[in-house]
Amino acid sequence: MIDNKSVGSRVRIRVTYGIVFLLGLICLLPLLNILSISLSSSAAVSANRVGLLPVDFTVAAYRKIIDDSQFWKSFGISVTRVILALILNLAVTVPMAYPLTKSVREFKARNIYMNLLIFAMLFNGGMIPTFILVRNLGLLNTIWALILPGALPIFNVILLMNFFLGIPHSLEEAAIIDGANPFQVLLRILIPCAKPCIATVSLFSIVGSWNDFFSGLIYIQKPEKYPIMTYIQSLSVDIQELLKSGASVNALENVTELSNRNLNAAKIVVAVIPLLLIYPFLQRYLITGIVMGSVKE
Amino acid sequence: MKNRLWKKIMAGSLAAAMMVSLTACGGGESTGSAGGSSETEAAQTGAETATSERETVTVRMGRQTLQNAKLPDGDTYEDNAYTRMAEKELNIDIVDEFEANGEDYDRQVSLALSAGDIPDIMKVGSLDELEELYENDLIADLTNVYETYASDNLKAIYDSYGGRALANVTYDDKIMAIPATNADSGPSIVWVRSDWMDSLGMKVDEDGDSCITIEELETIAKTFMEKNPGGADNVVGIALASWITSGDPDGTYTMNSVAYALNAFPKTWYERDGQLIYGSTTEEMKEALAVAARWFDEGLLDPQVGTRTWDDITALLANGQTGVTFGTWHIPDWLLNNIYAMDNNARFAAYAVETADGKVNCKHNDATAGYMVVSKQFEHPEIVVELANLFYDRLANDPSLLETYPEVAEYQKQGVDGSTRPMNVEINSYNSLLEGFGQLQACLNGEITVDEVKSTEEKSNYEGITAYLEGSGDATGWAKYHSRLGGVGLIQKLTDDDTFEWLTPVFPRTTSTMETNWANLEKLEEETFIKIVTGVLDVEEGFNQYVSDWKSQGGDTIIAEITEQMH
Amino acid sequence: MSENRKNRRQKAKRKSEVFYHLMMFPGLFFLILFSYVPMVGILMAFQDFVPAKGLFGSEFVGLKHFIYMFHLPDIAKIIRNTVVIALGKILIGTFMAIAFSILLNEIRRQFFKKTVQTVVYLPHFLSWVVLAAVVVNLFSLDGSVNQILSVFGLGPVNFMGNSKVFPGLIIGTDVWKEFGYNSVVYLAAITGIDAGLHEAAAIDGATWWQRVLHVTLPGMMPIILLMGAMSLTSILSAGFDQIYNLYSPIVYETGDVLDTYVYRIGLVGRQYSFGSAVGLCRSIVGMALLLGANGLTKKLTDQKIF
Repeated sequence: MIDNKSVGSRVRIRVTYGIVFLLGLICLLPLLNILSISLSSSAAVSANRVGLLPVDFTVAAYRKIIDDSQFWKSFGISVTRVILALILNLAVTVPMAYPLTKSVREFKARNIYMNLLIFAMLFNGGMIPTFILVRNLGLLNTIWALILPGALPIFNVILLMNFFLGIPHSLEEAAIIDGANPFQVLLRILIPCAKPCIATVSLFSIVGSWNDFFSGLIYIQKPEKYPIMTYIQSLSVDIQELLKSGASVNALENVTELSNRNLNAAKIVVAVIPLLLIYPFLQRYLITGIVMGSVKE
Repeated sequence: MKNRLWKKIMAGSLAAAMMVSLTACGGGESTGSAGGSSETEAAQTGAETATSERETVTVRMGRQTLQNAKLPDGDTYEDNAYTRMAEKELNIDIVDEFEANGEDYDRQVSLALSAGDIPDIMKVGSLDELEELYENDLIADLTNVYETYASDNLKAIYDSYGGRALANVTYDDKIMAIPATNADSGPSIVWVRSDWMDSLGMKVDEDGDSCITIEELETIAKTFMEKNPGGADNVVGIALASWITSGDPDGTYTMNSVAYALNAFPKTWYERDGQLIYGSTTEEMKEALAVAARWFDEGLLDPQVGTRTWDDITALLANGQTGVTFGTWHIPDWLLNNIYAMDNNARFAAYAVETADGKVNCKHNDATAGYMVVSKQFEHPEIVVELANLFYDRLANDPSLLETYPEVAEYQKQGVDGSTRPMNVEINSYNSLLEGFGQLQACLNGEITVDEVKSTEEKSNYEGITAYLEGSGDATGWAKYHSRLGGVGLIQKLTDDDTFEWLTPVFPRTTSTMETNWANLEKLEEETFIKIVTGVLDVEEGFNQYVSDWKSQGGDTIIAEITEQMH
Repeated sequence: MSENRKNRRQKAKRKSEVFYHLMMFPGLFFLILFSYVPMVGILMAFQDFVPAKGLFGSEFVGLKHFIYMFHLPDIAKIIRNTVVIALGKILIGTFMAIAFSILLNEIRRQFFKKTVQTVVYLPHFLSWVVLAAVVVNLFSLDGSVNQILSVFGLGPVNFMGNSKVFPGLIIGTDVWKEFGYNSVVYLAAITGIDAGLHEAAAIDGATWWQRVLHVTLPGMMPIILLMGAMSLTSILSAGFDQIYNLYSPIVYETGDVLDTYVYRIGLVGRQYSFGSAVGLCRSIVGMALLLGANGLTKKLTDQKIF
């Protein structure tokens, strides 16, 4: 952008690169650790000997995953869920955010809507009534139970609204003078201008539905229908609890055989891959999204 | 004005929506409460009706599942060899209403209850839940079906607990559940690396009674620390999990064995001189903590005590950083096998810690753990008893059943988890552990042949142990050798020598003060204990302060409440 | 003439409003169905809720659970612990996320930039159950962190077992896990800043620091305020999963927080009502803080958050 190659700025740029690199490295460590655990023998893992490099390198865990039909079934369920939830979330939040940018003078009910949203963001009835509702709607054990209760991420509406507010008003006005209705304004002016923000809320939606395991535990009552993160969560065992509940020795053997940390680590690694792929894809919009400067009046 | 109108509209539609979607849930609850007794009578009169004559009954079940049940590909909890056998034998059709693991299952039970729709047959984990179901009249009285349908063998199993098992599930003289039995698990055993002792030429337990004193335990740990036979960095004498003590007598990775040897029974309610006391507040407990505090001071106890997780301690053992640990008889099967995986030379000897008078203190477990209940709405409560007969009597005692259902035999051989049975509770006689061990030993001694061994489990134990003794190096054989000949062998020996001193504790129901204050009292206990052990608090002062705080913060009230419960 | 124009304007405005309501409708539908209908569950806070009795059959007990909550012997300490940890996370976490996004925006090498960005956002996806094992290994007495400290002649520090450093460990590791993910929204905010402003500032001879201070930060301000206000609502939640997987009785003194305490109480008697009373208090405090922050922002900056 601005190349004034003074010594000071060169030092500054080096320092910047250095700090960013260090922060990246610090965040990479736990991942490397988990990756090497997944590639180590389970004996070495249970002896806590695995650091940043695999010990007794083996891909046995990944071989096991390939054969784990439930893993892939759950993986597929999660992919479907993420896509459906993303479409629904955007379809609901984007149109909702625009009218909220209007003043009360332009849109009388604006504050009522806003207050309803804020209140619902802070207060909730808890797990039990929501479960009963989902059950009575006949959604239990369907993918919709994982999607519909979270169809309206309120925080994303408010975030979008704030980004819309940052778009120069003149653009919108020009469109209105040309006779565009609010819907057309949203489609033609605001959405193209707010690409970085829409990419951001899309990311939040994708990450949110991919990572959410709890609704699976509540609304899905057959493990065969679990989404991936619920499936992974369901693998973690509280051995102490199991001992207390009078589990048989055979049960303890089976469970501890599975709590092989290397296999679980491999599952986590594979489950994170889609998120690794989706981010660089969305980054295009995050970095080179329409910068306001390009639509200067 | 307009704002107010809007609010009214909103309020109105909200109320309407709530009515529609939430009232529906209350409906199912009340209908059956009056008709309950007649249903059980019907069951009673139909007693002579053979199972096969009954029309196929659909049974909706709540199933507690387990991670890694080892089901063959294609089989599920709802449809597997066990359910297929039950469906055919009992002429039923099993449909799973919900399935989940551990705590997640308990949550599903609560949700089903809140929605007013419980399955026909389900398992509940605690007596508190059972009591809630009974008090709200949701479950069927099983007294008659138990009397009529339970096979003699099944009744004999429950009777082996001297009435304690069924007493737990009896309310107002009515049997309300088919309980899982919970036999005694023995003491918290001291597991010592015997290969290390051999290599160092150490002599322990010279009188051969399999008991060691606290001093001997200290000597072993100290020698291991000094000589470091594992050749490890950061050697640790004795490592304990962060909770230090356990309410289970056999508490793994805890100091229970030391406490018991000093006549302290942490986290245990029991009567002494006609007075109900809580074991963690006794003078003996103070002594036990003093021992641990001295260990910490001397560097014998892990300097990171209090922060170690389960996996951490397993890792210490696997790395050879420590060679002494505590745990129940079967830890070689699923914990210590990790050590064998790292070091094929690892061997463990099992000892009990004795009191000053050469006895080994132990306490009885509560006789039940887990309860099968039947919905009051369900017309065939006898099915739950028939399921119990099928899995805990016929399957164990009738070899022809395994011939008819070879896939079930295959399941047992493959170690498919017992939770896949549509009756996920364990019902075993009080002496089943030592009986099984007796057969195993007789077989190993050549007194009986393998075919004469009754249970599939002991058969495979026999095969594993013989293979191991012949030097196969098989990990399962190593584990079974240690858990059976080491762990159960020790229990058998202490029983034979009459070394055990048994305590019969009181197992209270959760009282109202416990509901409100127990979490706090537990925190007080755990926080104080770890502070005493790590020397943050003085033993004498800290403990006395704890006892008086414990009493004033609800402990005394709880003692009064439990005393009342007992009478 | 002007009358006519006014009329037309009115008409257009009314037409627009119809559109606005239509656009709100799908969201409103889900809001009422899945947020407002289940709010009857708030009643649980005023009941002795028993699952077998259901929401409409359980006994009402008024403010019992609230009174009980404020009479817990440790409540003051627990709330203090919660607020210290939560506030630490909010302040340091927000600062780190903003600083990182500004620094990253300076990077010109696209490949490096994208890689770092992807890497820092990854820890967010690892659950605390998994990360706790990593943290324990790093921070134990013989872990890497203490080895590094010993090079500088410091330590060893028993991070997991010293109640003085434990909150710091919790805050630090949470910031480590979340700053990258949280920076995503700030990066989006930076891209929204008019590049022309930067050019103008540079022509005026502004240094880098001056540009950050006078162009970048003010441009990000609406989003910073929004995120800050939103995170304030979680002042009474210090992060259950993280603390539950890292704490032990030895650090209860400073590490036992509202969520963990409520969880342990729930274990004794499955107390849904108590949990729901605590949740309600938390919502009320969150609401008060959010409204306060909104009001304050309006007063100070003439902008508002919502």
